Amino acid sequence: MIKLRHFLAEVFGVIRTLLADDSAKSTMIVGILIYSVLYPQPYVGEVLRDVPVVVIDQDNSTASRTLVREIDVTDLVDVTMSAPDMKTARDAFYRRDVYGIVVIPAGFEADILASHPAPVAAYSDGSYLLIYSNVMRAVATVAGTMGAQVNYARLTAQGIDDSTARTMLSPVTVTDISVFNPQGGYASYVIPAAFVLILQQTLLMGIGLLHAGRRPPTGRRLWATIAAYFGLYMIWVAFTQMLIPYLYSIPRTGDLVTLFLIAVPFICACIAMGFAIAMAIPWREGVVFLLVVIGMPLFFLSGISWPVEMIPDHLRTISLLVPSSSAISAFVAVDQMGASAQDVAKAIQTQIVLVVVYSALAVVLSRLPHNRR
Amino acid sequence: MLVPLPLILFLVLAVIFAPGLPRDLPVAVVDLDGSTMSRQIVRMADAAADVEVVEQLASLSEARQALVAQRAYAILMIPSGMEHDLLLGQNPEVVVFSNSQFLTAGGIVGRSLSTTVSTFSAGVSLRLLEAQGIGTDRAMDLITPIPVQASPLFNPSLDYIQFLLSAIMPTVMQIFICATAVLSFSREHHSPNGMPRLQRIAGSPTRAVLGKLLPYTFVGTFVLLLGDVVLFRFFGASFRGNIFVFFLNGFMFILACQAMGALIALIAKDTTGALGMMGLIVAPSFGFAGVSFPRFGMTLFSQIWGAIIPLTPYLQLRTDQTLRGAPLEYSLSTMAWLFAQLVVFSSLLWLMTRKTMAQTPVVKENITTDPQESKT
Repeated sequence: MIKLRHFLAEVFGVIRTLLADDSAKSTMIVGILIYSVLYPQPYVGEVLRDVPVVVIDQDNSTASRTLVREIDVTDLVDVTMSAPDMKTARDAFYRRDVYGIVVIPAGFEADILASHPAPVAAYSDGSYLLIYSNVMRAVATVAGTMGAQVNYARLTAQGIDDSTARTMLSPVTVTDISVFNPQGGYASYVIPAAFVLILQQTLLMGIGLLHAGRRPPTGRRLWATIAAYFGLYMIWVAFTQMLIPYLYSIPRTGDLVTLFLIAVPFICACIAMGFAIAMAIPWREGVVFLLVVIGMPLFFLSGISWPVEMIPDHLRTISLLVPSSSAISAFVAVDQMGASAQDVAKAIQTQIVLVVVYSALAVVLSRLPHNRR
Repeated sequence: MLVPLPLILFLVLAVIFAPGLPRDLPVAVVDLDGSTMSRQIVRMADAAADVEVVEQLASLSEARQALVAQRAYAILMIPSGMEHDLLLGQNPEVVVFSNSQFLTAGGIVGRSLSTTVSTFSAGVSLRLLEAQGIGTDRAMDLITPIPVQASPLFNPSLDYIQFLLSAIMPTVMQIFICATAVLSFSREHHSPNGMPRLQRIAGSPTRAVLGKLLPYTFVGTFVLLLGDVVLFRFFGASFRGNIFVFFLNGFMFILACQAMGALIALIAKDTTGALGMMGLIVAPSFGFAGVSFPRFGMTLFSQIWGAIIPLTPYLQLRTDQTLRGAPLEYSLSTMAWLFAQLVVFSSLLWLMTRKTMAQTPVVKENITTDPQESKT
């Protein structure tokens, strides 16, 4: 009992040291709080709506005007201007007044009435994929619906009965269901993942700031140090994985025990790696510099925004040396997709291996002359 | 560390995005029908370039498991009796479940699978119409009465190298350049008597700033150009702009980043604090720049925040000068925006340098020339 009290006193001592160090405090505490406000800001809109598009209606008929109106009423785009020709439309496009161009050629209505195909054209910016997909979805959906109505009218006019006409036009129905992030929200997609990386980076930096170039703690002080960082970051895990989704209305389905099962080895792996880095680079600024610069590439190795299947095997294997590379998608699977511990067992194993590897490395490196002064 | 680190990062990023377009992403199939037709749909799905059918599962709960364990990004579910219903004209429903938590991969496979089923459906439709005595050509016309000719301007293959890699490299560069500027200024600012020593060596704030930053300007511009050579030469990313304008933009971008970084170094209390502050401001800037989620869809705060960061105008200029090949007149306002950032950051930096240099008596004769300003 007394032993435990001594140990706890030591843990609080470590926390006091952390709070007394301005850089460490601003990285491991204030920084995370600022990030939790700042980082989600670009994405709070969740879904892209009302992409401004320009329409070139060269037909100017009832049918073409109906098409334009239908496109305008979709959530995806907003018809903000109409242009007489491509030159005017392109001008608005280059100025970024609009991000899509819809062209309805002359003869559109006449073609429909004559039962000829009546094509329309849609142009959008392939260099912004989210915008492009909105514009194309809007035009394709409206053209499809309108085309189906036209067809249905044609077939029934030929004396084909109602249900046969429907069957002939769409014999099979395709239903698309998005699971886990039903509205396809951008915040839901990027925020839970990004905060796992933010936890890792701030923890690695904090340990670098407090221990790089200094004599490493030993004995009870070492265990107290580990316990202090672990305790602090378990609070941050709860904060970033539970409170932040709640604050930004991001759906969350995971259960606590499973979250714990991945969070514990992940935080341990980060602490071990933090000490290994701090022992390897005896220069505080160098540690922070390195970690700030590699943060973004690490995100793209996590498989969230670019599928891991596309990353060459060698690079993927090397990337697993960083806890976030396997942990980010495991956290997302647990929290957003309701994965069980079994589903993320591989990621948990990887984290445990990293704990062992980096602990051993840290111990070896701590025997280097510059760490024994 | 200066030249190799960003080059290594560029290399890693280039290797990650080298395929350009995701291909053969894993999907699972739940074929409850097991008919000739359902097998045909599965074969068609597998034949699409972006999808590979990796598993055939017996039930939806197994399929859900495959999604959660990330063995598949989507499930194609064919109900039992599909072929039977189809032949009776009872409009069977095929369902595509895609994992939208992985927005890119889930979106790609979801679209691919539903296109496959629609194509299959159109094929059946064609046969049914022909059976009604409608000729093949006429039947084709009937299936899609309003075809949409969808044209991606500027990035015809919707390639991720042009879309993401081309934007990520400058983002990494911005962090790197700001960080080097922070380090080079902090060395003087945060060591005792560092700034006066700088004053003695350089003579004036302007010379001090230039002397500290210019070497890194050259290194930064060189590395940025090297990255672009890889991008445009090796990956064949399209470049439709003016090389001189492109270079000028890059140069202004590097200078603006340096001025911002150095300014942060002079405001912060110590070097690590400056690096931390820099990280907070610069690290999230990719989101604010509007490449992934566009700026016009953001809140006012995010638009303003993004407008302050050099990356935002620079990435717009890059798109203008590389993919869009926009005539120069359209880029002028964005160039003015980047230039304004450069002017504001440099002026603030100059004032701060002056102020901190004047903080010790060694340089007293300098502040007497303009005591007002040195106090601000």
